[in-house]
Formats: sequence, structure tokens, C-alpha cells
Amino acid sequence: MKNILLPLALVFISLSFAQDKYLTKTGTVTFEASVPAFEEVKAKNESTTAILNTENGEFAALVLVKGFRFKNALMEEHFNENYAESDDFPKATFKGTISNFSFEKINNKPTSATFNGSLTFHGKTKAIENSTLNISMSDDNEIQLSGDFMADVSDFDIEIPSVVSKKLSKEVAVTYQFTLLKR
Amino acid sequence: MKKKLWILLVLFAILGVIGYNYVYQDHRNISTESASYTVTASELINQFQENATVSQEKYLNKTIQITGTVTAKSDNALTLDNAAFCSLSNATKFALNSTVTIKGRCIGYDDLLEEIKLDQCTLIN
Repeated sequence: MKNILLPLALVFISLSFAQDKYLTKTGTVTFEASVPAFEEVKAKNESTTAILNTENGEFAALVLVKGFRFKNALMEEHFNENYAESDDFPKATFKGTISNFSFEKINNKPTSATFNGSLTFHGKTKAIENSTLNISMSDDNEIQLSGDFMADVSDFDIEIPSVVSKKLSKEVAVTYQFTLLKR
Repeated sequence: MKKKLWILLVLFAILGVIGYNYVYQDHRNISTESASYTVTASELINQFQENATVSQEKYLNKTIQITGTVTAKSDNALTLDNAAFCSLSNATKFALNSTVTIKGRCIGYDDLLEEIKLDQCTLIN
């Protein structure tokens, strides 16, 4: 009897875990480091994987750096080869825990919440503290998670050559938008 | 003298055109590129799970052609053999559980979901 109970219990445990996760494979992350009067330096990644654990408010996003698309093809090439070095660092991660998270409180009105977490890019990790995000749930049970924060280029060990330093902001505005579905 | 001026002017114009075309070159067109590798989706995930670093070096940013069974789909994406998530360039209709071959650019291995991700995918057949 015990032999049957254990796998059965495991199945139930894994089922209950699976129910607490909301995820997307096509989340959007954009960053912008534009300087007024110069060409726009902006890229969008629409293939970000993001998972939210509605049990404890933990979330994690995996951004494949090669998936960042620029308007300008040459800029995209330079970003991958010289700045992000995406052959060596193909992944960026963004994760955190939402403070005072309560799944029951999420409704169709976007509410703001704070979170503490980190951003890993170019092999370097930087803490993100007390950042705000918006969370809401649509009628068809989709959780919307969005927000923005600033990141310093210098924190990620990225060198900007002096020739282009005027055209590139040292502070990068990062925005994210995830439409999460129950797994 | 006037002739020299003309030559100089033409030279500048040519340089200008070359420079412009370099700075504002077109994006890669994955759908017209020929595939660097042709594999099945399950074979591809096996390679990534065996050795992620080597596979990454081999496939990252490459145009690859993969075959597999459609295990999940949405308007702009499909999953082959629960192993390769392919974002489509254009919304294309697929039947669930059908076997298809698609071509796209490998953007990496998603270790949260243990899937390979491709973008700019198009249907071959």
C-alpha cells in the first residue's frame, strides 16, 4: 500500500505546484539608452520567458540576449558583438520577490507593488531594490505584470568607446510587460 | 581644375552612398537564408541537454531547419516536440499534432522551461 501512496502523493504535490505558476514565453522587455538629438538606441525582446509563483510572489524572467531587436541592423550587430557580447553571455535574468504578495488581492484594476530582486546581464548581477511594478488580472485569468527601472551601464562591466559615448546614455531605461497564463 | 572638382564630388557621393548603406544596412532575412543545420527538434534538445555550452556555440544566432510534431500553438508561435519554441514571423495556421518543418534563427536555450527558442520562423512544409 505504501508503495502506491508515495508516487500518488508525489503526483498530487507536483499538480498543486503546477497550479501555482503563471507563465509566458513571449514576454516583452525593452531597453532604451537614447540621447536626445542622436539616433535612437532602443531594442525590444519579445521572446522573454517569465514565471510568477502566485504562492509566494516570486518571479523570474529569462531574456535571451540574441532576441533583442533594434531598428538599425548595424546597431544590433554592434550591441551583440561589442557591448552585450551575447556569444559569451547569451542569457540575461531578471528576478525578484513581490513584497506582501497576496494572490487573492489581484483583480482587474492594476495595483502597484514593490519588489526586491536582481538583474543579471553580461555576466554581472546588480540588485534592484524597492522597485515598483503593476499587477492585475484580466477576466480571462491572465495576470499582467509590468514596470520599469533604470540600470547603470557601468554596473555591468560594459565599456563604451569614447567615440560613441556622447550618443549613448550611461543610464538605461528598462521596461517589461508580461502577460502570464496559468500553467 | 573644374574636372578635378567634379571627380572629387563624384568620389564623395560614392563614399556617401557606401557609408549610408553600411550604417543603414538591412536586417538579416532568415526566411531567405539557407539553413546552417537541419535537425529534428528532439535531436536538438538532446544536444543542448548533453552539452549546453558546445551546442550554444554551434547553433546560437544560426539559421536552422527543424522538424517535429506541433505540441502547442498560438497565433504567432508553436512548440515542436515540447522542445523547441518557435516565434513566427507571420501568423501561420498549423494543425496540432501535425509534423512540420520550419526554419528560424536559434536565439538560445531557455533553462527555466528547458526549451530551445527560435525567432523569425517560417514554415517550410
